[in-house]
Amino acid sequence: MSALLVAGDLLREARSRRWTLALAGAVTLALVMVALGLRLEVVDGALAATRLFGGTLDTDIRSVDVALRPLFAATSWLVFFGGTLFGIAAVSDFAPSMLAPGRVEHLLSLPVQRWQLLLGTFLGVEALVLGGALYGGGGMALLLLAKTGVWNPGPVLAAGMAAVAFAPVYAVMLGATLLARSAALSAAAGFLLFLAGVVAGKRDAISPVFKPGAARAMFLMATAPLPRLTPLAEAGADLAQAKPLAVWPLLGFVAGAALFAAAALALAAARFERKDF
Amino acid sequence: MTVAIEAQGLEKTYRGSLGRGGATALRGVDLRVERGTAFGLIGPNGAGKTTFVKALLGVVRPTSGRVSLLGGDPDDPAVRRRVGYLPERLALPPAWTPVEVLKAVARLKRLGPARAEVARRLEEVGMAEDSGRKVGGFSKGMKQRVGLACALLGSPDLLVLDEPTDGLDPLARVEVRSLLAREIGRGATLFLNSHLLAETERVCGRIGILVEGRVVREGALSDLRAALPRWRLRLAGPEAAIAAAGFSSGGDGSFAFEGEAEAMNAALDRARGAGALVLEVAQDSKDLEAVLAEAVGNEAPGREAGRP
Repeated sequence: MSALLVAGDLLREARSRRWTLALAGAVTLALVMVALGLRLEVVDGALAATRLFGGTLDTDIRSVDVALRPLFAATSWLVFFGGTLFGIAAVSDFAPSMLAPGRVEHLLSLPVQRWQLLLGTFLGVEALVLGGALYGGGGMALLLLAKTGVWNPGPVLAAGMAAVAFAPVYAVMLGATLLARSAALSAAAGFLLFLAGVVAGKRDAISPVFKPGAARAMFLMATAPLPRLTPLAEAGADLAQAKPLAVWPLLGFVAGAALFAAAALALAAARFERKDF
Repeated sequence: MTVAIEAQGLEKTYRGSLGRGGATALRGVDLRVERGTAFGLIGPNGAGKTTFVKALLGVVRPTSGRVSLLGGDPDDPAVRRRVGYLPERLALPPAWTPVEVLKAVARLKRLGPARAEVARRLEEVGMAEDSGRKVGGFSKGMKQRVGLACALLGSPDLLVLDEPTDGLDPLARVEVRSLLAREIGRGATLFLNSHLLAETERVCGRIGILVEGRVVREGALSDLRAALPRWRLRLAGPEAAIAAAGFSSGGDGSFAFEGEAEAMNAALDRARGAGALVLEVAQDSKDLEAVLAEAVGNEAPGREAGRP
């Protein structure tokens, strides 16, 4: 319960921060630009003329939902990668500000355990990122629906997957902040884990690049414990392209990301528990 | 009388980088503060006062020793709910208003709907008019007042205040003193860490002196400020006769006498015999500054660097 109270306070603080409001404004501006720039004309449910940002989309496909699948897929990729990277930049300052001298002492004197403080911060940031991603992804899906009459849930799923992928990323960012209280270090750690997670998601495809033997084994060993983030990104795009969604493997990747996040949080909590302020 | 704070053999050594060259801030502190009293901790810079306060609240993990607050573990949320704390350098979320800050504290302390108390506490610390402004634009003194209001929320049984009047103007200090007096009056225990000795002297009935991580003196303020064989008097009458009786003149009818009470009375008899009139007699006592200087002086040899 205390962790949820901490998460609620983090969301309240985010709401009152100019930086968060500016980021929300930037996402809104992007949506408005898309709404104004994307000119699609659909007649009687068939594709009469499709104009994307003023350019003609040459296609002999007559069904509009099929013709627009690449657009929805691209939107899903954008929502996943843009949302995650945007999230890293947007929330990197929360933990350092919570651990600021004078503030952390006050928080630790209140009736809340250290692990609850950490978990609450994690949950608050996750909720913020999920909200932001859903706003961006859902907004894009709704805009395209309004323009074309086609509903494609790909961007919305991509937003959800971005929030899942953000869990291990932010757990590592929290851990990094406990080592050194710096927003830049926190963002760098998150970005590195995100890159590593993308690579780990394609480890089977990448491993042949390495010579069989020690180099390949080391690559596979190094990427083994990392969360597989690429399949999470692919899920939204696959759904957008009406490809069958492999639910069980996807759930496995989601569980893997959650497990990594839980392990990273547990390590961060152990460090936090012993730390003097 | 039950105990509000009890520290036994409290030690704290901060580890240096890569585990080398640590600094010892507390070296076996034993201290008891009875409930309903006002206790002041004083000491020179680097004595370990702030580390001790942080160790009390679990903000710093002691290397060894034991702390109990209100008869319980400082880590226990039920105990912390009964404690109000003002840290030395308070930092508040800059985008929040004082009302939002206090409401957040009230939520974490599970005080229920606290709107009325939030308004009352802000009124008490003189921040009612600024309650809608963002904390980021506040001066140090204003932030300190908001922090004090946070500490007072829920009428805690124990108030631990680290330099509460730092950054406050003289009038605000007077207000804070009367506020603290009211809190003590309702039965709260006050633990005050301050480098302002005059403040400590005015508010606290018991004093502990921490030097180099050890409590070197502790007791009632009146005992620590032991009376000196020195007297200040106001006498009227022939100045030459008064001086001849053994008093040294300070001008404007004020005189001083050094000696025990019997000798001073004998001198007074002589002065009165010469026509002097006694208007006022007061015995000098050590002020807290002198007590601290004496305690530090006694402990000075072999001082080592410690972290505050």
